[in-house]
Amino acid sequence: MTVKILIVFLCAAVGTAGGYLIMRRYRRDKCYFDGVVKMIGELKHNISYKRDKLKGILENFTVSGSVQLQKNIDEYVEFISSKSEKPSITKGFLSEQCYADVCELFASLGNSDERTQIERLDAFSEKFGRYQTEAAQKYMRYGTAAVKLGFLLGLGIGVLTL
Amino acid sequence: MRHKHNGMEELFRLIPDEYATVIKMRLLGDKISELRIRNLAPVRICYGGVYYYLTPSGISKYRSEAFVASANAAENIVMRACEHSLYAVTETLKKGYVTVAGGIRVGVCGSGVMTGNVLTAVKEFSSVNIRLPHEIKGCSSALASRLSAKLKNTLILAPPGCGKTTVLRDLCRQLSDRNINVLLCDERYEIAASMHGIPTLDVGVCTDVVSGIDKAKVMEIGIANMRPDVIIADELMSGDLRSIEHAATCGIAVVATVHAKDEHDLKGKREFEGVVADKLFHYCAVLSGAPDFGMRITEYGT
Repeated sequence: MTVKILIVFLCAAVGTAGGYLIMRRYRRDKCYFDGVVKMIGELKHNISYKRDKLKGILENFTVSGSVQLQKNIDEYVEFISSKSEKPSITKGFLSEQCYADVCELFASLGNSDERTQIERLDAFSEKFGRYQTEAAQKYMRYGTAAVKLGFLLGLGIGVLTL
Repeated sequence: MRHKHNGMEELFRLIPDEYATVIKMRLLGDKISELRIRNLAPVRICYGGVYYYLTPSGISKYRSEAFVASANAAENIVMRACEHSLYAVTETLKKGYVTVAGGIRVGVCGSGVMTGNVLTAVKEFSSVNIRLPHEIKGCSSALASRLSAKLKNTLILAPPGCGKTTVLRDLCRQLSDRNINVLLCDERYEIAASMHGIPTLDVGVCTDVVSGIDKAKVMEIGIANMRPDVIIADELMSGDLRSIEHAATCGIAVVATVHAKDEHDLKGKREFEGVVADKLFHYCAVLSGAPDFGMRITEYGT
C-alpha cells in the first residue's frame, strides 16, 4: 500500500514539476517585458529631467526577475564603453520579431536630441506595452493552469499505473 | 578634495586604438595640447606648441606619412565623447563642443539642423578638435600676487590656444589657496573639470565651482547666494558685460578671459568698446603663447 501511495505521489510530483516548468516559461516572458517597459519608463523619466548619460541610467536600473534582460542591458553598457560601432545583443529565448524590436530599441538609444529620444521611447513603450499585456495574459491563462493540469495529469497517470 | 583623473586615459578612450598606441609608445602626454581629426584627412597633432601630422611612427612634418582618418571618424569620436548619449550634450553641441571628463573639450564641426532660424541639432559630424587641459602650477604667479594684495577686475587676453584657461585655472588655485573666496563659472567644464560635483583639476580649497551654467546666470545667482570675493570666468562674450558691471557694483572683483591678441585688438571689438572706455577692468594681462608663454600685465584706472 505504501509503495502504491508513493508511486501516485511521485507521478503527481513529476506532473506538477512539468507544469511548473511550463509556467516558468510564461513567467520568464512576462518578467522580460515588464522589465523592458520599466526600463523605458526610467529612461524617459531621467532623460526628460536629469539627462544623465545612458551608462549611468542603465547601470543604476534594477532588473527584477529577468536574467535575459539584465544580460542584454549589460551587453549594451559594455558597448557604450567599447569602441565597437554596434551593440551585440543576445537573442536568448526571444522570438525573431521580439528580438528585432529589442535590437531596434537599444540601437535607437542616445542617437538623437532629448525631444526626439522621448518620442522614440514613447513609441517603443507602446510597442513593448503590447508585448507585456500579451505575455501577462498568457501567464495568467496558461501559466497557473499548467501547474494544476500537470498535477492532475501526474495524479491520473499514477492512479492508472496502479 | 578632488578626484584624480587622467586626461590621457580619456583621450585614449575617444580616439582609435592605432592612434592611442602611437601616442602611448612614442609621445609625451604633457606636450600634447590638441588632436585634430577630420574625416578622410590626415590627423594633426599640436605637440609642444607646434603642429605635426600623427604617423604610425610618432609625429612628422610630412603629410604623406600621416594616419588618414576614416569617413566616420568624427562621428565615432563625438559618440564616444558623449558616451552614446547625444540628448545629454545637444545644447553644447549647438555651441560647437562636447566636454569630456578630465577637462578635455572636443570642438565639433558638422551640419546644422535648422527649424526656421533656430538651430535645433547638429548632424553629419565632419571634424573634431580634441583639446587637452594642462595644469602649469605657478604660471599665473605675477598676476596672483597683485590680485591677492588687492582684488581688482582683471582681463586676460590671448588668441585661442595660448594658455588662457591654464593661467585662469592656476590663478583660481593661487587666490583660493590664499583664503580668498572664489566663485568659478566653469561653463564648459574646462577649468575645474568637475565630475559628480568634485573638481578633477586643482582649483584651490576656497573655490565654489558652478559648472555647465552660463556666466550671466552664475553672476546673477552666485553673488547673492555664495558671497564670493572674486568671480572667475572663461571666454567673456558681449552678452556677459552687463553681469560684470553688476558684479563690480556689488564690490566683487571679476577675472575673465577674452579672445584677443592684445589691448589694441580688444579695442577693435565693438562690443568691448564700453569696457575699455569705462575702464571697467583694472588689470589687463596679455599672454604671448608658444614658445615662451610669457605674460605682460598692464594697469589701468586708479
